[in-house]
Amino acid sequence: MTASHLLGLLEPRLDPATREWLSRAGASSSGNALDASAFLEAFAMAGRRLGQKPLGTPEDTLAGLGLSLAPDTRTPALLGRVALLLRAQERLEPEGYEALVAACYRSGDNGERQAVLKTLPLLHHPERFLALARDACRTHVQPVFEAIACENPYPAAYFPESAFNQLVLKAVFTGVPLARVVGLERRHNSELARMAADYASERRAAGRDVPTDLTLLSPGASA
Amino acid sequence: MKLFDPHIHMTSRTTDDYQAMAAAGIVAVLEPAFWLGQPRTHVGSFEDYFASLVGWERFRASQFGIRHFCAMALNPKEANDPNLVDWVLALLPRYLGKDGVVAVGEIGFDEVTPSEERCFAEQLELARRFELPVLVHTPHRDKKRGTERTLAMLREHRFPEERVLVDHNTEETLPLVLESGGWAGHSIYPRTKMDEERMVTLVQRHGAERILINSAADWGVSDPLKVPKTVARMRERGVDEETIETIVWRNPVAFFAQSGRLDLTELEKPATIDQRELWEGNSVLRGQTAVVRT
Ligand SMILES: [Zn+2]
Repeated sequence: MTASHLLGLLEPRLDPATREWLSRAGASSSGNALDASAFLEAFAMAGRRLGQKPLGTPEDTLAGLGLSLAPDTRTPALLGRVALLLRAQERLEPEGYEALVAACYRSGDNGERQAVLKTLPLLHHPERFLALARDACRTHVQPVFEAIACENPYPAAYFPESAFNQLVLKAVFTGVPLARVVGLERRHNSELARMAADYASERRAAGRDVPTDLTLLSPGASA
Repeated sequence: MKLFDPHIHMTSRTTDDYQAMAAAGIVAVLEPAFWLGQPRTHVGSFEDYFASLVGWERFRASQFGIRHFCAMALNPKEANDPNLVDWVLALLPRYLGKDGVVAVGEIGFDEVTPSEERCFAEQLELARRFELPVLVHTPHRDKKRGTERTLAMLREHRFPEERVLVDHNTEETLPLVLESGGWAGHSIYPRTKMDEERMVTLVQRHGAERILINSAADWGVSDPLKVPKTVARMRERGVDEETIETIVWRNPVAFFAQSGRLDLTELEKPATIDQRELWEGNSVLRGQTAVVRT
């Protein structure tokens, strides 16, 4: 998907001033070249300029663009930020672009971080952002964790087994339905089944109930 | 009655505090960036602090049904460290555009040094550029003189008065601030600054217009329930409900709404709390029963 596809979806919903802002967002004041600090400011301001009210964009429309988003995250701010990141990729050398993505994440608030994580699988050579994606799994902010763990093909496509297993177990720990983890069936492995069984046994020993999703991972977990 | 604590440093408070605040009717807080007790010596410490104000702390508050807004700035105390000033001022534009940032603050004077003055002035310009109001700290020592100097500074820079909230006022400084056209904050503290009794007397004398109260609770001896406690004292002493609500809700909402970043209809609704998704693991819930309220 390219930035223009996504902008095409977004632009008809924006007023002329906002559309104009979005078309110039991230460019230096002197010309069209991308300026990193202007970009970071625009990336932050997108929340305020574009708005946070979820759009009723249907699943299919987004799927056609290669995006999968939970309904409450289909906001103009998120879609606009994804478009900004995609457009920047077309304007920067790979090295500068990688630094920009890292800066957007590092200095981003929860909404900005979600947008970066949703963009990762759409980029050229997504594997170069593996460290960032793995780091995102360590967050304590649930919506940020869900941005990488849920409705996102990135982990199943690029995570090594141990990292993928940690993500799945954390999803169970934090009450995320495993149906939201993309590619789980394909990446399922015996180590993950063992971890799930051990966790189920830990819960039983503590006198707690066993989340039903654990039985999806390990048939023995319900015993 | 919904309460807004427009000055509280939640990063230094516990989840018990959040619970007690929510139970006492506090539905929104403003956390200004300030110092942390221990001086910071690297710009990176500020970067992580700013990120936590718009990241983890915002999320933490939401788990208790409290909306968390913040003000960003280089505070007057640390404005005296030449190893920090230029770097932190250069960092601020990256944070001032973010959603939950509704003011520049705390800025102002501590000892009234040239470096404090320079940081104060530059941050007034940043506030202008990002169309944000400012939250201004006033010195605890030599208070009256410091407040006069603060108001003079705001006039020299032609900063619009209605976008200024001058904080930590006393009987002597409140009339000066009201006369300047700015808004006046009062930090109700267990021992210093201002207490409930004196505050009620001030309200009886000056009314509610452009007057706010806060707990300024932080890592020192302070009390995050000072706003509801002052409300109770105002009621006991016969202040009418309209006046009380203006001070603890309408005024802070009106002041920070000048940022254009408060969703007023959303603020009027009860916040959605869903702790189900935070079950155990690394959230603030550790094995308790989740609270769900929608
Ligand atoms: Zn303070």
